[in-house]
Amino acid sequence: MINNNNNINGSMSPSSTNAQSQGLKTYFKTPEGRYKLHCEKTHPAGLLPFAHGKSITQITLAHLKDKPAQAALPPSSSYSASSGVRFVAAKILGGGGNGGRALSFVGGNGTSKANGGTSRSGSLGGLNGSNSMVNSNFDGKGTYLIFNVGDTLYISDFNSQDKDPIKSIHFSISNPICHAFDSEAKDGHDLLIGLNTGDVYSVSLRQQLQDVGKKLVGAHHYNKDGSINNSRCTSISWIPEHDGAFVVAHADGNLYGYEKCKDGTGDSSFPVIKDQTQFTVAHAKSSKSNPTARWHICQGSINSIAFSTDGKYLATVGRDGYLRVFDYSNEQLICGGKSYYGALLCCAWSADGKYILTGGEDDLVQVWSMEDRKVVAWGEGHNSWVSGVAFDPYWSPPSSEDVGENVVYRFGSVGQDTQLLLWDLAMDEIVVPLRRCPPGGSPTFSNGSQSAHWDSVIPVGTLQPAPSMRDVPKLSPLVAHRVHSEPLSGLSFTQESVLTACQEGHVKFWMRPGQSESQPSNSDALLSSSLKEKTLLPGRVGGSSYKLSNSS
Amino acid sequence: MHQDAHEFLNYLLNELVDILEKESQAAKSDHETSPPEKIANGPKIALANGAQKEPLVTWVHKNFQGILPNETRCVRCETVTARDETFFDLSLDIEQNSSITSCLKNFSSTETLNAEDKLFCDKCCSLQEAQKRMKIKKPPHILVIHLKRCKYTEQLGRYKKLSYRVVFPLVLKLSNTVEDADAEYSLFSVVVHVGSGPNHGHYVSLVKSHNHGHYVSLVKSHNHWLFFDDENVEMIDESAVQTFFGSAQEYSSNTDHGYILFYERLAAGSTS
Ligand SMILES: [Zn+2]
Repeated sequence: MINNNNNINGSMSPSSTNAQSQGLKTYFKTPEGRYKLHCEKTHPAGLLPFAHGKSITQITLAHLKDKPAQAALPPSSSYSASSGVRFVAAKILGGGGNGGRALSFVGGNGTSKANGGTSRSGSLGGLNGSNSMVNSNFDGKGTYLIFNVGDTLYISDFNSQDKDPIKSIHFSISNPICHAFDSEAKDGHDLLIGLNTGDVYSVSLRQQLQDVGKKLVGAHHYNKDGSINNSRCTSISWIPEHDGAFVVAHADGNLYGYEKCKDGTGDSSFPVIKDQTQFTVAHAKSSKSNPTARWHICQGSINSIAFSTDGKYLATVGRDGYLRVFDYSNEQLICGGKSYYGALLCCAWSADGKYILTGGEDDLVQVWSMEDRKVVAWGEGHNSWVSGVAFDPYWSPPSSEDVGENVVYRFGSVGQDTQLLLWDLAMDEIVVPLRRCPPGGSPTFSNGSQSAHWDSVIPVGTLQPAPSMRDVPKLSPLVAHRVHSEPLSGLSFTQESVLTACQEGHVKFWMRPGQSESQPSNSDALLSSSLKEKTLLPGRVGGSSYKLSNSS
Repeated sequence: MHQDAHEFLNYLLNELVDILEKESQAAKSDHETSPPEKIANGPKIALANGAQKEPLVTWVHKNFQGILPNETRCVRCETVTARDETFFDLSLDIEQNSSITSCLKNFSSTETLNAEDKLFCDKCCSLQEAQKRMKIKKPPHILVIHLKRCKYTEQLGRYKKLSYRVVFPLVLKLSNTVEDADAEYSLFSVVVHVGSGPNHGHYVSLVKSHNHGHYVSLVKSHNHWLFFDDENVEMIDESAVQTFFGSAQEYSSNTDHGYILFYERLAAGSTS
C-alpha cells in the first residue's frame, strides 16, 4: 500500500506529487465497503515534460495478449531508416494550442482470438534512425495504462506498483491529445494517437514497448501535417465490430472516418462546408482515399465521442452543448439534446446501450435515455465542470430483493472540483416532477414548451432544447470524494479498481472493497476473465433482452 | 485592492447615475409641464407618487440593476421579512477549484444568523436566531459578477490575493431566481487582474466583439474575442479565455486571473 500522506511537509512545488497528496484521504466509503488507494502512476518525478499544462491528460487502458507464435515483428536490423513517405516516426510539427477535455476510455474489450502480431507494420518498417534498439525478448504481454502529458505519451505497467512509466514517447513540438486501443486489431496496429496539430498515428503498442527509444516506431501516419484538417484532435475511437476502422473528432466540429487498410493515395479533399450549422456527411471521391468520409457535426469543437458497445451508435458532445446520437453506418442523426447550459465535455454509454451519460460546464451529470430520446435525470453534486463520466460495468446490486424491472446502474463522474462522485441509477425510483402552474410568473411562457419535456413523444432525428431546471428529476451522489488536488480529467472502471486521472498527469488506482492487497498482481487474469464474460453478453442496443448486472 | 477595478466600476456607475439625475433634474426645471421620460416603473406609479420622490430610472439602472430580496425568517415565530435590495453587481465568495455556478449557488443558499449575528424580530421584540436567504428576484440585463479574490488573512495580518481556479462558462443560467423561466446569459467581457498580490499588479481585459446591426442574432462564429492590454489590442481565440480561470495550486507562475465577469442576458428562447 502506498502511503499517500507521507509528505505533508514536503516540497511546495506545484508539479510535485508531494503537494498532490496534501489533505487527501487514501480511502472512501460506499455502501458496499471501502475503496482504498492502491497505487499511483505519473510522469517521472522531477522531469516535467515539455508543454506541461498545455494539454489535458486522458487515460486509455490496453490489454496486450500473448504474442503469437510467429511473431511477425522484424529483427532490429530491418528497422534502419526506410524512406517511407507516410510511415514516419514522431515528426516535428508546428502549432501549439490547448488540450481537449474529453476522455476516451477504450479497454481491451476483446474475445480470445489470439492475434497480436504485425506483419504489415513490420514489413513496412519504421523510420527511427540508427539509435533505435529493439528488445525482442520482451513480448509485452500484460495490461498497460497509456496517458498523455504535454508533449509526451507515457505507458505504465498496470500491474506493477511502480509509479514511473516504463516507456515515454516524445512528440517534439506537438502534443498528443487523445488515444484509443483495440486489443482485436488484426495487423497489430492497435493503438491510435491524435495530436493537437490534427495529425493521427496508428502504431503497434507491443512494438513501442519493445523499442527502447523515445520516438514513435513503425507508425502509420494519417492527416499528415494536418493536410486534411489542421484543427486539434479532441477524441479518437476504434469502431467496435468494424476491424481496422476508426474515427477522429476535431476541434472545428468535423469528424473523419478512416480505414487502416487504405493507403490514402487517392484524392482526400472534401467539399467546402456551406452551412456550419448543418450536419452533413461527405464521402471521399476515391475509394482509395483515407479518410473515407467527413462528418460535419456542429459548430465549434466536438469535445468527446463514444460508440455504443456494438458499434451501431455514435454519441458526440461539444462546444454547442448538444449531445448527438447517430446511427453510424446509416449516417443518420437519431436523437440528441442540449445541456442545461454551456458546453458538454464528456460522454459514455451504458454497456446495454440504453443510457448515455454526459457531463459539462453546467456542473451537471446528465442521464440520457435512448428509449425516451430525452434527458431522464440530472445528477447534482459537482462544484465545478464535469470532465469525465463512466458506467461501472462490473458493479452489481448488493441484494436480489427487487428482481424485475428495477435495474440499478452504478456510474461515476469526475470534475474540475477534484472530486470523484459515485451514483446509483434505478429508473423506477426516479420521480418525474409534477406539472406545476408557474408561481406568479408569466403563464404564457411556461405552459407550452417547458413541461412538454415529459408529455411529448420525441420524434426520431430531432434535437431537444435545454430542459428547464424544474422539469428534470435530480439525483444525489452516493459518495463524493476529493481524490486529487488538481482538476480531474478522466475516469475508468476495471474489474478490481476505479481509475481517476487529473489534468496534470497523475493517475490513481482505487481498489474495490473486498479486493485483497495482493490481488492486483493477478489482475491480468481477472481482467481477461471479465472480458470473456463481457463478450458473452448480447449487449445489443436493439435487442434489449439483456439487463446490466440484474441481481445475481 | 489598490486601484481596484471593481471599486472603479462601482464609482463609475454611481457617478453616471448622479450625472444623469442632475441632467434630468435640470431638464425638469426647464420644462415644468412635460415631465422627463420615465422608463421602467410605468406611468401609474409615477402619477401616484408624484414626480418628485420617484427615483429616476436611467439607462444604467435599465442595464445593470437587479433586485435581490434579502429574506430573513425568524426561527421562533417563523415570520418572514423580505426587503428588496437593488444591485449593480454580485460579489461572490470563491473557493478553490470551483465554478461560477457553484459560487452563485453558495451565494443564494440559506445562511443561519446566530450568536452575534442574531436578527431583531419585530414580532418577538427581541434578538432571535434567523435564517437568511438571497434569491435573485429580478435578474439584471447585464449581470456583473465580481470574484472576491482579495481576502484579509488573520495569519498574515494583511490582504492576500486568492489565485483560486474558478471556471466560468461562456453561457450561464440563473435558475435560482424568483422568475419562472431560467434566465440565460452569455459572457461578453472579462476584467483580468494580473499580479500575485492585492497591492500591485495590472489589469487587462477581454472583450467579445459583435457584429452589430442586422447580424446581431447571427451565429457566434462571426464573433471573436479581443484582448486589451494598455495600448495593445490582440485578437484571441475563444479557447484562450480558459487561461484566465486561475490556478489549481497555490504556488503557480500563472498570475492572470478573471476578476470581473460581464454576462449579457439572452432573449428567452434564443438559441445559442
Ligand atoms: Zn420572531
